[in-house]
Amino acid sequence: MKAYLGIDVGSVSTNIAVRDEAGEIIAGLYLRTQGRPVETIQAGLRELQQILPPEVEICAVGATGSGRYLAGVIVGADVVKNEITAHAVAASYYLPDVKTILEIGGQDSKIIIIRDGIVTDFAMNTVCAAGTGSFLDQQASRLGIPITQFGALALQSTTPVRIAGRCTVFAESDMIHKQQMGHTLKDIVNGLCEALVRNYLNNVGKGKELLAPVVFQGGVAANAGIKAAFERALNMEITVSPHHDIIGAIGAALLAKEELEIIKKPTRFKGFTITDLAYRTSSFECDGCPNACEIAEIYEEDRVIGRWGARCPRWDIVEESND
Amino acid sequence: MRIGIPGALFYYVYYPMWKVFFEQLDVEVVTSGKTTKALIDKGVREALADACVPVKLFFGHAMALKDKVDQLFIPRIVCLNSKTVYCPKFLALPDMIRHGLTDMPPLIDVRIDTRDKRFAVFKAFMAVGKTLKKSTPAVLEAYAKARITQMKFYQLLRHGFQPAEAIDMVFSRIAAKPVLTGEQMTFALVGYPYIINDQYISVDVVNRLRRFGINVLTPDNLSPLAIATRRYASGKRLFWTFSDKVLRSTRYFTEHKNIDGIIHLSAFGCGPDSIVDKFIRMDDNPRNVPFMSLIIDEHSGEAGIGTRLEAFVDMVKRKKRGE
Amino acid sequence: MRKVSFPHMGESYRAFQMVLTDLGNEVVVPPRPSRRTLNLGVQHSPEFACFPLKIVMGTYLEVLDMGAELLVTSGGVGPCRAGLYAELHKKTLRDLGYPVDIIVFEPPRLHPFNFISNVKRLNQARLSIKAIVECVKRGWRKVQALDNVEKMSHLIRPEEIQKGATTKVYKKVLPWIDGAYTIDEIVAAEAAALEEMKKIPRDPERLILDLGIIGEIYVLLEPASNLEIEEVLGNLGVRVERSMFLTGWTRDNTWKETTEGMTVKDAAQPYLPELIGGHGRDSIGNTIIYAKRGFDGVIQLAPFTCIPEIVARTILTRVSHDYNIPVLTFFLDEQTGKAGMVTRLEAFVDLMRMKKIQAANEKPA
Repeated sequence: MKAYLGIDVGSVSTNIAVRDEAGEIIAGLYLRTQGRPVETIQAGLRELQQILPPEVEICAVGATGSGRYLAGVIVGADVVKNEITAHAVAASYYLPDVKTILEIGGQDSKIIIIRDGIVTDFAMNTVCAAGTGSFLDQQASRLGIPITQFGALALQSTTPVRIAGRCTVFAESDMIHKQQMGHTLKDIVNGLCEALVRNYLNNVGKGKELLAPVVFQGGVAANAGIKAAFERALNMEITVSPHHDIIGAIGAALLAKEELEIIKKPTRFKGFTITDLAYRTSSFECDGCPNACEIAEIYEEDRVIGRWGARCPRWDIVEESND
Repeated sequence: MRIGIPGALFYYVYYPMWKVFFEQLDVEVVTSGKTTKALIDKGVREALADACVPVKLFFGHAMALKDKVDQLFIPRIVCLNSKTVYCPKFLALPDMIRHGLTDMPPLIDVRIDTRDKRFAVFKAFMAVGKTLKKSTPAVLEAYAKARITQMKFYQLLRHGFQPAEAIDMVFSRIAAKPVLTGEQMTFALVGYPYIINDQYISVDVVNRLRRFGINVLTPDNLSPLAIATRRYASGKRLFWTFSDKVLRSTRYFTEHKNIDGIIHLSAFGCGPDSIVDKFIRMDDNPRNVPFMSLIIDEHSGEAGIGTRLEAFVDMVKRKKRGE
Repeated sequence: MRKVSFPHMGESYRAFQMVLTDLGNEVVVPPRPSRRTLNLGVQHSPEFACFPLKIVMGTYLEVLDMGAELLVTSGGVGPCRAGLYAELHKKTLRDLGYPVDIIVFEPPRLHPFNFISNVKRLNQARLSIKAIVECVKRGWRKVQALDNVEKMSHLIRPEEIQKGATTKVYKKVLPWIDGAYTIDEIVAAEAAALEEMKKIPRDPERLILDLGIIGEIYVLLEPASNLEIEEVLGNLGVRVERSMFLTGWTRDNTWKETTEGMTVKDAAQPYLPELIGGHGRDSIGNTIIYAKRGFDGVIQLAPFTCIPEIVARTILTRVSHDYNIPVLTFFLDEQTGKAGMVTRLEAFVDLMRMKKIQAANEKPA
């Protein structure tokens, strides 16, 4: 059975998806990256090997996310794409006439505007994390509520507390202030949901024309409180896309399939054997010129397979061409 | 015929004159009133995230008038003293409202630049009268009455009232009660009138200080002559009228023996203030007057500002007791 | 001999170095802004000052430690705050204990005497007026040559077959121009450099996107401040045209306004009839001109908290809509990370490419 593998390496989570020719998702993994992307990818593939039926044959691989280049060289990806394109492709696959995609992940959030099936505008959050999942994670742990119960609790509230704050630090002090004033937990939780949505719309959603149908995806889409807050703020219905937490990986798999159909070459996928190889990353400061670029490199066994960070071609890897 | 004047930026400087001028010409004047949370939220949502707080406020005020008036009066005030200009945001204010917002009523955006022609202000008002299809004698009379009201307004400022109070007095004929009583200390609050007098955004610093038993003086309370004759140590004149005034006034206050403390109130994201604040600190302060700068933004919690003010007042009191 | 230095802005330092040396000064060549420059600059600048001020502050601190005693820079008449930066720099540096002097060149059209006295102060070799003119002419020609070679690299990079070839050749030919002294030598070096660049193997079949870059001058001209955005875009198959070069800009401010400048102003007229300082109005006008020329997109580069560009961005939303041209803005500061920027650029390039392909399909064949 032919199948396509997509890997989305983000700063908080690493997601892996395998879809078959018919479009069914036959495997989906959501793993915490925990600052160790290489180990996470290897662990993910190891787990995948156990789940997948033996007759599955991976015929193309796509990598996306902030760690896409790293993932690309480790597994041998056929296509390495940015996460905006990957998310847009996957969302349009499930809802072909989608016009607006709201995506909130662990540390990144983005908005993508689609018209007639193509991306016409997008934005990502800048330095600030107030409109991302980590904002909720932090406040939830402060309140001592498991993040999984956050949404349900928020839905019980009818009068959300207004929590001010452009950034997580200010929001936290304001939240403590409100707690001290005696507001109930559910109203505070709901207030946090509204604060996140407000920060998101004011930051990444600024100046964008938000038209229905709207799809909400990314890790935070699981939170019903946020979905409800979005619906209140935008006054329109919002669909949470299927497989919303691994949607980037699905997009990468879709892109890989497309790529393969265009170039008509066998996949560069190195196979599941890479889970047993030793990878080592290191970095050094180049002393070739005053730029003092910080070069990061990754070794597979004893061979350098990737280098990043140089401003000049000095450290480029000359590929041993097999074709 | 109804004309809207947003209650922000130049409102605190020229509203008395504008209101009288239009009313004399049988035009109803509508303002957006005091800043509210809802109004700020609107402005923050529509204005660019990187814009300064006063611009976001202005957006909010302009939007509040959207369906209530036939035209908005947003003059393009470039230069009024033939020497300094206003900050770029003022120069492009009508353009930002026209192109940055949708479905706004038409604007009256007469340009005023005294470097271009003599009697530019007078001519600008004549031009406005003409667009309203009023006869020249009627416009002349309206202009004269407007000037008289503006003079009254200035007189109240000289007596120590703040612009927001003086506007109330000019129009509602509240008996002028003296603000400068025999209080124990006098502070100078330097900054732009549209920040100091916006009670919401400034967290009403003026009255907070008064409640501590402190007289408050702002650059608006000084005579133009007192300001114009001060020199600051920078070799180059500041380009912007409001900033130039703040710097010269600060200079005046540092030399004036009745001033016990100086607070520079500035708004988050204000470009000129990044220089003004630095220049104030670099300028001579012969009497070593205690100085604090306070940066406010659309989220400033009352608690935070209150604590800082209290601490500053306590510090100055202790210092005074020690002397 | 007094040691002189100046801010670093792209490759232009090569020409400034030549002119100042000819005038009889010992020149401390400013190093390319690095992480260290930024850290120094950020540490000694007001938090909300714009990015160029911070980088230049860092550069000054570096060259002062290298022995510079006199700094040469440009001024301005507002309302952009950059015109006051020389004052701020001087005060800050003196507070830090450097006995530094700064020569500020104001626009000569408005301040002719300032210009003459500044030139006099820099003329340590006591050259005749004729010799000075000669020397400035050569410097000017060198800046032009550097600009022309850079423009060529923007044209060739998207089509190069071997990734990185253009950058390699570009780095190779720059010293040729640097070594040229007389006008004839500069012209010859420029021709040789352009010829060398044209030899780079190219793939003319590729779908190339045309993109205009607009924004504030410093972040446009100093690749170290914009994370080499033009090179990144070139590698993604985008032909970049920058709205501003040192030769184009200095001309506006020294002699009469160029005809090019006039059309940009006319283009911006319906959206922003007022000169708001910095390059806000140019950004609007150039976007419209790029749209009319059929470009696929525009990228605006601006320092974080830059008021004129914030004003421009507010209005550009409408322009982008009216002219159906995508505009992506980067507000740059010391926090801007290259990875995040590359992700956005890749997505933007995908967006432009899809739009172009769709438009091509819609047209009857």
